[in-house]
Amino acid sequence: MSASAGSEFSDGSAPKPGPGRTGRDWADPAFSGLAKACGIVVLVLIGGIIVVMLSGGRLAFTTFGPGFLTSSAWNPVRDVYGALTPIFGTIVTSVIGLVVAVPLAFGCAFYLTEMAPRWLAGPVGTAVELLAAVPSIIFGMWGFFVIVPIMARDIQPALIHSVGRVWFLHPFFSGAPFGTGLLTGGLILAVMVTPFIAAVMRDVFNSMPPVLKESAYGLGSTRWDVMRQVVLPWSRTAVIGGIMLGLGRALGETMAITFVIGNTNRISASLFSPGNTIASLIALEFPESAAGSLKLSALLALGFVLMVISFITLACSRLLLRAGKA
Amino acid sequence: MTTMQPTPTPRLATVHAGAADAGARTMIEIENLDFFYGASQALKDISIRFPERQVTGMIGPSGCGKSTLLRVLNRMYDLYPGQRATGKVMLDGENIIGPQVDASRLRSRVGMVFQKPTPFPMSIEANIAFGVKLHERLSRADMADRVEDALRRVALWDEVKDRLRANATGLSGGQQQRLCIARTIATRPEVILLDEPTSALDPISTARIEELLDELKRDFTIAIVTHNLQQAARCADQVAFFFMGELVEVDSAGAIFTAPKQKRTQDYITGRFG
Amino acid sequence: MASQAVPAAQPFGALSRAAPDIGLERRRRIGNLVATVLAGVATLIVLAALASILWTLLSLGIGGLSLHTLATVTGPAGSNGGLLNPIIGSLIQVGLATLIGTPIGMMAGIYLAEFGGASPLANAVRFVSDMLLSAPSILVGLFVYLLLVAPFHHFSGFAGVAALAILVIPIVVRTTEDMLRLVPVAMREAAAALGAPRWRVVVQVCLRAARKGLLTGVLLAIARIAGETAPLLFTSLGNLNWSLSLNESMASLPVTIYQYAGSPSDDWVQLAWTAALLITAGVLFINIVARIGLRGQDRS
Repeated sequence: MSASAGSEFSDGSAPKPGPGRTGRDWADPAFSGLAKACGIVVLVLIGGIIVVMLSGGRLAFTTFGPGFLTSSAWNPVRDVYGALTPIFGTIVTSVIGLVVAVPLAFGCAFYLTEMAPRWLAGPVGTAVELLAAVPSIIFGMWGFFVIVPIMARDIQPALIHSVGRVWFLHPFFSGAPFGTGLLTGGLILAVMVTPFIAAVMRDVFNSMPPVLKESAYGLGSTRWDVMRQVVLPWSRTAVIGGIMLGLGRALGETMAITFVIGNTNRISASLFSPGNTIASLIALEFPESAAGSLKLSALLALGFVLMVISFITLACSRLLLRAGKA
Repeated sequence: MTTMQPTPTPRLATVHAGAADAGARTMIEIENLDFFYGASQALKDISIRFPERQVTGMIGPSGCGKSTLLRVLNRMYDLYPGQRATGKVMLDGENIIGPQVDASRLRSRVGMVFQKPTPFPMSIEANIAFGVKLHERLSRADMADRVEDALRRVALWDEVKDRLRANATGLSGGQQQRLCIARTIATRPEVILLDEPTSALDPISTARIEELLDELKRDFTIAIVTHNLQQAARCADQVAFFFMGELVEVDSAGAIFTAPKQKRTQDYITGRFG
Repeated sequence: MASQAVPAAQPFGALSRAAPDIGLERRRRIGNLVATVLAGVATLIVLAALASILWTLLSLGIGGLSLHTLATVTGPAGSNGGLLNPIIGSLIQVGLATLIGTPIGMMAGIYLAEFGGASPLANAVRFVSDMLLSAPSILVGLFVYLLLVAPFHHFSGFAGVAALAILVIPIVVRTTEDMLRLVPVAMREAAAALGAPRWRVVVQVCLRAARKGLLTGVLLAIARIAGETAPLLFTSLGNLNWSLSLNESMASLPVTIYQYAGSPSDDWVQLAWTAALLITAGVLFINIVARIGLRGQDRS
């Protein structure tokens, strides 16, 4: 580069227009203000949901008082409503779902992180993620047309004739094998939430520093030793957070349950008996409720109860996942 | 503006003779600068001047405050709450750490190049134009000239002139760093700050950047932080040695490396610590 | 990682080495074998469920898939109707909800990543948004019903759009924040060092650098809301007649599936399966595209 090359501003003749050539002082505060406002929209949304649901259910809460939560009545003719049966159904199906889903999800995550060869881990992992992406109404249809007949023909009779014979298990595994009911609902939920829990577990297991695992393997540990004694203790908090996340999903699941639950407002010990969950009851009864009626208010009150239950679950899940990450 | 030899003559004088040109105009004058990260003090009572169109090298062990000083000169610390500077940093008679100073405008006058190349995720051309567009409205033709000029100054033009629209992230590390320097000089600053600009580069790319510095100081006042003492000796006119947030010694490169006045300086350059 | 048996005790200098405990060794190996087999079986069960769902949809849904089905409006049972209005209704509602929810979610994500930091407000937004991400979608349907349907005494496509948009927001918030945090600090500083104001740094540099991840987030959000049924039941309700008005109830594929699947009429059940096949194929396709895009994120 010759000395003259840069002459244009070697001379100090570089044009430096006055201050604030593109001075738009309002742009920065406006942008950050807009961003903040959108953040606040999220808060307003959740606040709005809480307030609106509460006010929608006020008529039912004031009419029935605390008894709303402990009454199992649901009688549109006499206009008497209680939340106990759907709460019972929600909890039973979710618990069944988790009891089945957690081992499945753990097995999947264990397989994907420690066992699968690289070429297989990718596709299998994607398949699990795709299962999580299938819309819930598809699970409902699949459950109704595929799983319910299998339950009615094979699984329920088999259970009745095996574990149903054990005297203390008899009440839980008895009744007519219709195929629908709490057990079927729980199993469909299990299939739905397994990929969610598995994905969380896989990420948590993968986030473990390889050095820790390798030093355990270096001592002659088997895969299972490493998982049980190193990985699981290390990731326990986050794993529980992931399970809670699955529970949160199960509690509020609507469409899949609606197809297979049987929709009966009855509390029965038998897992084969048809029942209700909060979400399925709302989905099924809402269209038949007149605006402003006590029934509609009772459904909204149920929605509020569901919101409280699932928000508490999800809040615990987030806190655990965050603690596990730190 | 477009007449330039593709390969500049190397000027790798091992040590610049003589003290920093005492006659040179002072570009930046710092007086009694203190700097704090929250409660901890990172710079203590620094006073130094940067002569116009000379290279000032800043050396010292990690955490000695040299990079911090660099980030005061373009108010980079403004981005982070809890960091503050007190004292005087005069640029053209204006205290640039004063509250009334527009940081955006200051940064158009004081450019900065970072340790790792930081090409933006856009075309080579758009990378150069990005900074220019912030401060000037140029016609399409003027902008093209400006881009070419900047790329020629960093000896990158011949390598990229056929792919100006290509993504800048496809360049090699050394090319990316030269692009970043081009992006900085395209806005026509008065001062260029370089924060260990070659520490992520291979020796050949490093040599090219060092050659470049010699060219650039015709037009710009340069402050460079480096861990490489040979680099400071090769490129700098004056060298400042920092230790534990203090400015221990500042002198011409020749004086610092051959006859340091302070024992701590001597210990450092002879490799006794750091 | 085949478990290696400890070699038989060998002379080891002066140190005498304890003989390996054969019983313990066997127990550990059996435990490993059992765990390995069970994990494989669990994975197979999950894969089998997916395969069964896909097979059921294909075998039962493909029969009804024809140009006639795609181009004909729904009709009464036995009238040889199609799925045109649910398809168009779904496209309109999902499209508008994405257009409304994405900017809000993205700005909120920008707030969390660039401005909010760890301030109490930002932490609250982050926490609440993550909760909203997994909140039961039927609650969102009820919320919008009370807000946009009940006061006007009629269901509307617009209410459906609002419900779906609310579901989009937390998904986009999460991906935007995550993707922006992957943008190196040095790139932000480099842009700021040129004198760029904060908003330009974010919009022209950070969002650009993160664009693949952001697109992935939006795609996943679309895939999620395209299959949602519960939030639409009380908002856009479904409409068996041809209507493009957002002010009236509007058909959608998921709600049509819900209405037709339980019907005694065979042709409606067939249409339900075909609709289920369409929606699932669309959702899974978007998911696969999004995942491929996400993998390319680092290379951009």
